Amino acid sequence: MNNNIKILTAIAVFLSVVACIAQTKNTKTESVKIYGNCEMCKNAIEKAGYSKKEATVNWDKNTKEATISYDSLKTSKKEILKRIALAGYDSDSFLAPDDTYSTLASCCQYERVEKKAAITEESKMEMASIEHSKHDAMAETKQEVNQLSKVFEGYFVIKDALVKTDGAITSTNAKSLLKAINEVQMDKLPMDVHMAWMKFLNALKKDTENISKTQDVEKQRESFKLLSKNIYEILKVSKTSEPVFYQYCPMQDANWLSKEETIKNPYYGSQMLSCGKTIETIK
Amino acid sequence: MSIHIGYSQNLVRYELTITDTIVNFSGKAKRAIAVNGQIPMPTLTFTEGDIAEIVVHNRLKEGTSLHWHGLFLPNKEDGVPFLTQMPIEPNTFHTYRFPIIQNGTHWYHSHSGLQEQLGMYGSLILKKKESDPTFRKGIDDLPAVPLILSEWTDIKPDNVHRMLHNASDWLAIKKGTTQSYSEAIKAGHFKTKLGNEGKRMLAMDVSDVFYDKFLINGKNESQLSQFKGGDKIRLQVSNGGASSYFWLTYAGGKMIVVANDGNDVQPLEVDRLIIGVSETYDVVVTIPTENTAYEFLATPEDRTKSASIYLGNGPIQLKSRMPKLKYFEGMKMMNGMMNMDGSMDDMGMEMSLQKMDMNTVMYPEVTGNIETKVNKKMDNMKMDDKMDHSTHSMTSTQDLVTLNYAMLKAPHPTTLPKDVPVRELRFELTGNMNRYVWSMDNKVLSETDKILIKKGENVRIVLHNNSMMRHPMHLHGHDFRVLNGQGEFAPLKNVLDIMPMETDVIEFNANVEGDWFFHCHILYHMMAGMNRVFSYESQAPNPYLPDKKWAYKKLQLESNRLHLMAENDFASNGNDGMVMFQNSRWSFGTEWRLGYNDQDGYETESHIGRYIGKNQWFMPYVGFDWRYRKTNGISEKNLFEQVSTKDNRAVISLGAEYTLPMLVTLQGEVFTDGKVRFQFMREDIPISSRLRWAFMVNTDKEYMTRFKYIVTRNLGISTHYDSDMGFGIGATLNY
Repeated sequence: MNNNIKILTAIAVFLSVVACIAQTKNTKTESVKIYGNCEMCKNAIEKAGYSKKEATVNWDKNTKEATISYDSLKTSKKEILKRIALAGYDSDSFLAPDDTYSTLASCCQYERVEKKAAITEESKMEMASIEHSKHDAMAETKQEVNQLSKVFEGYFVIKDALVKTDGAITSTNAKSLLKAINEVQMDKLPMDVHMAWMKFLNALKKDTENISKTQDVEKQRESFKLLSKNIYEILKVSKTSEPVFYQYCPMQDANWLSKEETIKNPYYGSQMLSCGKTIETIK
Repeated sequence: MSIHIGYSQNLVRYELTITDTIVNFSGKAKRAIAVNGQIPMPTLTFTEGDIAEIVVHNRLKEGTSLHWHGLFLPNKEDGVPFLTQMPIEPNTFHTYRFPIIQNGTHWYHSHSGLQEQLGMYGSLILKKKESDPTFRKGIDDLPAVPLILSEWTDIKPDNVHRMLHNASDWLAIKKGTTQSYSEAIKAGHFKTKLGNEGKRMLAMDVSDVFYDKFLINGKNESQLSQFKGGDKIRLQVSNGGASSYFWLTYAGGKMIVVANDGNDVQPLEVDRLIIGVSETYDVVVTIPTENTAYEFLATPEDRTKSASIYLGNGPIQLKSRMPKLKYFEGMKMMNGMMNMDGSMDDMGMEMSLQKMDMNTVMYPEVTGNIETKVNKKMDNMKMDDKMDHSTHSMTSTQDLVTLNYAMLKAPHPTTLPKDVPVRELRFELTGNMNRYVWSMDNKVLSETDKILIKKGENVRIVLHNNSMMRHPMHLHGHDFRVLNGQGEFAPLKNVLDIMPMETDVIEFNANVEGDWFFHCHILYHMMAGMNRVFSYESQAPNPYLPDKKWAYKKLQLESNRLHLMAENDFASNGNDGMVMFQNSRWSFGTEWRLGYNDQDGYETESHIGRYIGKNQWFMPYVGFDWRYRKTNGISEKNLFEQVSTKDNRAVISLGAEYTLPMLVTLQGEVFTDGKVRFQFMREDIPISSRLRWAFMVNTDKEYMTRFKYIVTRNLGISTHYDSDMGFGIGATLNY
């Protein structure tokens, strides 16, 4: 029995020695530059580079140099640097995706080396087309005839904010809409529009107020259902210069109005952005 | 090895030698199949007008075949064993010879069994002549690079197929997508999980198979350093994956889609697109800056891993990875769509053409990430800052342009001949997730005859997907028009991806006679029976297939094989196990409980049953029971006051099994000795990722409860309490 234990111990010791040797044999240590700023960057870089039993990273925030040690049979410097870049930190071999870099905390947003844009035929053409669109925008601002267009515009910006599921902006926009509603000079509206306006004015005010009072998107959406219905009734009578699409979401059994035919659902936002269909085009 | 000799001006010849090989994609050496020593198979290039001659030498120990995906050719050259030719037997060769009468990006693969998964896929590029009136300057003259996407699994494909049929959850464990009760509770979705099982659904994923590596041209990562800043490159992407859809994204900005399934489309600028299994897309990308390489990223739909190719030189600009799917959101949505009777309800939404991806609820990049743990650690000021940025990037992703079929528009009218008869066919795509049976109109290939069509007529097909998964439906030998609202400019395709609950309409002119396969291109769905054959009436005989009737029977059998499943628990109080053979309808199984002594007893039950109905919740069966137990004369009474000694009993029975909500099976059985037994049982309740709970109770006053911890694919540790044999602990081996 005793003997057995001795033999076992001997084997164990032998094996662990072998393991140690094996480990040192494959371990490589290299120094490499990684861009970053602060202590927070250090944590993020080291965490992204670390891989259990395969790689460790030690980054110096003053020199921006990282010492990476890794098992060269299991991984490579390339793989480690790729992981670090995917966490937002550039090195000389991998550049972080722009969207990942932009989500880094502000103290971590190190200065990046700017890339030199290649010159292609398109880039010249694009410049020209940008000039064009500026002109178009200016021409558009001149026409504003319909008194209610401010109200409709106010409605559309609320809808857009709901598409983005942004309660705060929706609430602010609702306040502006309320102001626009109050500023409408009823007596100057054409007769039929005047009638419709009178009929729905109180409901419009109430729903808009409800939306402005809360930042809870779900509550806002409930009020928005009613608001949409009433705006639709008015818009049907008053018409606008551009076509407006009356759209329907079967999952919410609710409608909304939009200036574009592409479905962007304000009741779900991004979760079911394209849920719904156009049921009427108002011209 | 490939020889490229021009015998005459336009005969282009390739020699392909198929051999077994050993590969190491994952760190483990595994068997694969190579052609001319390589995976993927060599890229074959022809120009429209050439005559292709491809000699295939089979050095495997099994039959093989090659199918030219998307090509118009005589039926006998189509390469479907038992449908258009006999398999190419081991150590023989076969010559495919056909004129090239089209252009575009296509691919080729084995159509025998699951060989495609083992490496038998390759690009097939048909070049447009420069004198072609449809030649597009600035697109067709760009440098072009064929890219073929694929995946690799260390598990043998046959075994993968078997595991899918047996609802093995090993593949889900490997992916981390068990969606167990404890995971549900952690995610605040206990009710969702309960509702899901209430509707008799097993946890599901956007794809089923766990893959060790994803590959572009046979490599997980590679670089094309011949390109420099400002270059425009046309990537000819084919999805040669057996079951993976891939998201394509590019670090250097937008991609311009210029062709789909080998047919030109009007250029479309997109941020991302999903390429269905067996589809091809040609995209033009630009390298926007000097001295930087840009990542072209292919991410499988389940987002477990990815494959990349870097375009250009210098430091590599990476593309951000797609965030992990929010599975319980998907489950919640599925619960809402699923009726109690197992059919799907689209709630009045007329869904078609990939326009509305229901999976969007699972995409964190679109719905916002719930994981704000990182933020919580930071102080308030930093947190505000971070929030600002994340909302910023969220709004920008909302404006991402994702390609869908409605956007595709052919550059020229594609209308079919007028004044010819029109045949309209409707197919409902159906499936049974739990038993992995995939079918059309609830019938697998082995339950249907060929569908006869006439040469010259226009065939219009309405497809509705009433299954829970998307299916890339592929038609051999023809391109079809997808009626997508583009009028006479409807795009031409040969693969149609159809998402759950979508209805799409396609049409084609029947202009080449023969027997043409129409099937789901997810290999494991195809092998599970989701196929049909369109057969031209009174067609000329096929010299490669003298006995077509016999061959069709063989073809039907191929996709309705019996699958073995076996399990035994070697426990301290006895052995407990079963063995079962099943195909899409039949089940042959035996269960046993064997004690270590006569007091504990020995007992076996065998059942031969047939699954009935679309959902296969009901299975009547005939059975045979045998048991022996030394009870020293003590007899037992069941709930119906029927007395039995368990001493020695051999009886035949008639019974039925029905799956109740919560996936509990109710079994009722009448035995020849007049005894009646009802039993409730549920196996494999996922407690945690690897822990399973089972229970059983019956009217013979027997009961059992068991916990099993899954250690590896074939091994579990279990503990159970059984009314006959008492408490036991042991190791469960399963196959």
